[in-house]
Amino acid sequence: MTQRLRVLLVLLTGLALEGTILDEFRVQGVAVELLLMVAILTGYHGGPERGAATAFLAGLLHDSVVGSPLGLHALVFPPVAVAVSSVERRMLRSTPLANGLALFIAISAGQGLASLVGVLFGLLGDSTEVFIRQALISGMFSVAVSVPVNRVVRWAAIGDLPGTIELRREGA
Amino acid sequence: MTAFRSNERPRPTLLLLLAAALTLLTLHIRGVQPLESFQQGVRDILEPLRSVTDEITDPVQAVWSGVFGYQELRAENERLRVELARFRGRSMTSEADSELFERLLDEVGLEYLKLDTLLVRILGTPPGNFGTHRIEVDAGSDQGLQKGQAVATGAGLVGRLDQVDRSRSTVMLATHPEFLVGVRLVGSQDEGLARGTGRGTLVIDAGIRLDASVDWNEVVVTSGGRSLLPPDIPVGRVIDPDENAKYKRSVVIDLAADLEGLSFLNVVLERLIEDPVMPILEQSATVFP
Repeated sequence: MTQRLRVLLVLLTGLALEGTILDEFRVQGVAVELLLMVAILTGYHGGPERGAATAFLAGLLHDSVVGSPLGLHALVFPPVAVAVSSVERRMLRSTPLANGLALFIAISAGQGLASLVGVLFGLLGDSTEVFIRQALISGMFSVAVSVPVNRVVRWAAIGDLPGTIELRREGA
Repeated sequence: MTAFRSNERPRPTLLLLLAAALTLLTLHIRGVQPLESFQQGVRDILEPLRSVTDEITDPVQAVWSGVFGYQELRAENERLRVELARFRGRSMTSEADSELFERLLDEVGLEYLKLDTLLVRILGTPPGNFGTHRIEVDAGSDQGLQKGQAVATGAGLVGRLDQVDRSRSTVMLATHPEFLVGVRLVGSQDEGLARGTGRGTLVIDAGIRLDASVDWNEVVVTSGGRSLLPPDIPVGRVIDPDENAKYKRSVVIDLAADLEGLSFLNVVLERLIEDPVMPILEQSATVFP
């Protein structure tokens, strides 16, 4: 199976999960941001370009399932994925705690940015407190379920690398 | 461990994707039909999965809600107790009240209770975390619903249908910042355009003259006419007439319908006026058959 096909499979599975099971289980009315997490982790494992392309598709699918205007999340997800990839390339060493914290920050930032764009386009009210609370809870909730998602995305992003791809070791 | 290609050029790719996203967003906001159809198609494909998941996860979800929503459930319980006590207190005078209400409806000429409606059940909020001021209901185009139809309870206007899929629909609540409705003040007969504020109220900030006499607690109903919603649906009461406005008047309305703790809603099935010219043409046809 090619890398693109695997990523597509992961995105479609993510879409199905986000629209079904994950929607049923909310904490304080906030659900897991699975497609945003897939976008971020693809940026982390697969590099900025793959991350951006995957994030764009993830954003379009997310827009379709949540009913926001098409392109809104596709506008927000790619910069977050590229930023995560860029930060990851500059990190000297990574620990599970640091990775978890980075994922929390990235998801909260992505969620917050989406709300901000929604406000700018007049699609959401301007209750900043609600958006901040939503961003923080979705960040924490998503990190809590990130371990299996990380494995699947890692498999999808770098499962069978062609020879031209360079592998960078931790601490390099 | 990261896989990256040394020849990767993330900046041009990112700029290209951002431009594409902005274009799509602009086209969608301008109402380009294929984009909405694409989204509706995705949701319709997911629909059978969602229905099955709803049923399967019901028992687990009840436990989940008990664990993570305990405080909310307690508050809800408390609210319902207070409401029950209030209704018991009111039951003594309900007959007299209903007679008074009927008389009021006759006096102001409201046809609200005679509208043809479809009862729908609330399923919850739409998927994801972008659904503030929106709720999902269990009926869609298969049941004859159309985008733009008014949604109300016995107390008054709740919102309008925003997205209509085959067997589910999304209701944009009247408090949503994008919600616009033509309204009429029952006392003064002034008409204006009300919009949601995102904070639980509506505000009429267009159409009301600076010198118009607007009373506190004045009843506000939908105006009909060129508005998408049928006339005479109660909207709420004026809680701030903004009497001292110098340049622009912003009359604040408290919604008559309680948007918290709803279970069922009525979708008003009255014919939609899609073309603003239509009512004028219809009038001409009546005058000159």
